[in-house]
Amino acid sequence: MREQTTGVDLAVELCGLTLETPLMPASGTLSREALGEVEGVYGAMLPKTTTPAARAGNPPPRVAETPAGMVNSIGLQNPGVERFLRDLDAYDVGVPVLVSVAGDTVADFRRLCERLSGDERISAIELNLSCPNVECGGQVFCAGPASVEEVVAASRAAVPGKPILAKLTNEGVVENARAAESAGADGLTIMNTLPALTVDARARKVLVRGGLSGPAIKPIALRAVYDVSNVVDVPVVGSGGVTSGTDVAEFMLAGATAVQVGTASFVRDPQEILHEFTTYLKENDLNAAELTGALHST
Amino acid sequence: MKFHSVKVEEREVLGNYTLLHYRWEGPVDPGQFVMARTAGYPTTLDPFLARPFSFYDYDGEVASLLFEVRGRGTALLDLAPTIEVTAPLGKGFRIEPARGRVALLGGGIGVAPLKILGRYLDAMRVPYDVLLGFADAESAVVAKEFPGARVATMDGSAGTHGTVMDTTDTLRDYGALYACGPNPMLAAVKLAAGEDSLCQLSVEERMGCGNGSCNGCVVPVHGGGYIRSCVEGPVFPAEVLAW
Repeated sequence: MREQTTGVDLAVELCGLTLETPLMPASGTLSREALGEVEGVYGAMLPKTTTPAARAGNPPPRVAETPAGMVNSIGLQNPGVERFLRDLDAYDVGVPVLVSVAGDTVADFRRLCERLSGDERISAIELNLSCPNVECGGQVFCAGPASVEEVVAASRAAVPGKPILAKLTNEGVVENARAAESAGADGLTIMNTLPALTVDARARKVLVRGGLSGPAIKPIALRAVYDVSNVVDVPVVGSGGVTSGTDVAEFMLAGATAVQVGTASFVRDPQEILHEFTTYLKENDLNAAELTGALHST
Repeated sequence: MKFHSVKVEEREVLGNYTLLHYRWEGPVDPGQFVMARTAGYPTTLDPFLARPFSFYDYDGEVASLLFEVRGRGTALLDLAPTIEVTAPLGKGFRIEPARGRVALLGGGIGVAPLKILGRYLDAMRVPYDVLLGFADAESAVVAKEFPGARVATMDGSAGTHGTVMDTTDTLRDYGALYACGPNPMLAAVKLAAGEDSLCQLSVEERMGCGNGSCNGCVVPVHGGGYIRSCVEGPVFPAEVLAW
């Protein structure tokens, strides 16, 4: 239907799923209350990361503005996987639902994947291996290729019937991407927020120690998507600073099959981002799927 | 989040604060807020986030916002001929007319939502007193917008020397308390409220999105955990908050 109204084909294939548009929300950036604002924009839904048990999250202040971006330290506040599953129907808007999971241990990831494995409402799982605001058991256990491989392999075995995507941080992204692919990941989300700090000089205190997002990090994310998609065969979902329709095109040209919109949805109407992307395709006489990786073949 | 570009119809300087007016159509509850900024993409990405402001007043045609210039975002708002605002957001004050005389307490820029609340109370014929506390006389200039208000200043340069709590010793006698200001003030109001009185607190928190998505603007709740002030608030029943 969208194809008829716009004259261009926005659909892409991601890990065997057909997405009507290549856009999806980045985890933790679209509330149930805001679903009405994004009708028809996203080709897949991706609610906030769920964990085995409820997490209260970090004490405020949790957000601070920075030039062309923001630093957040939410701390994966969520009601735990059981409550998450009871509320999941709210995200059924007629497009595939991807579920983002996080844990402190390999066993946490395995148990979450087992729990979600039989749920027909869930089309794919995104392993959040890179939230900068949660210390994994006191260590950043998902920091290197060995632990990425271990988590992905355990998750892969626990959820044989659904695609899994590994969401990686920028640091060591190429090595970690190779490790995730060899352990059986069907796709990669590149990248998460970047570790960052804001300081309140007047109070002489740390304001927010967390993850930087927004347009400020876009060139870094683009580079990561470009480099990773050059060396892996699995599809890449681009994430990091996407703010406009042109940004969506840039990420796809750099190698992304689909693109996540996160912080930008706080300051823009996501409908406009899709509209700009559609206009870009029309002006260039292209369909969405034709963009992916075009920079690599030139 | 969807923003609407609106023309600033009038800008008034009230001591340290600025009051700006713009045309708006649609319902606004007292205590609700908007996210506001001068511009966004593609004009600028810096400042990046919009800022939350309670409605100061709304007469069905003209809405107004009261703010203090504290940084670059508010400095730009202070100058711009047009601004961008969201639709009204959040949950406002609960009004129970049968409770008799009520008190409206404002601390500093927390005076903002009390004007529109007073307008609604007037319409519902609920009698009320306004009690205001400020840092100094320059901030207290806005008190002239509240005829009959009792005023305190921290430096003693206007009204009673002290905080808003020093303007009265009869808070327990009111049927309801409505307060907006810094968290320590709201905690003091909660403590001073009568056991059976309605106590409604409007919190001031840093916000990212304003629509419940980022979980950035949370407040601690009784019994543990946090809830979002943009969606579940910004006005909360005092008993909900863990202060």
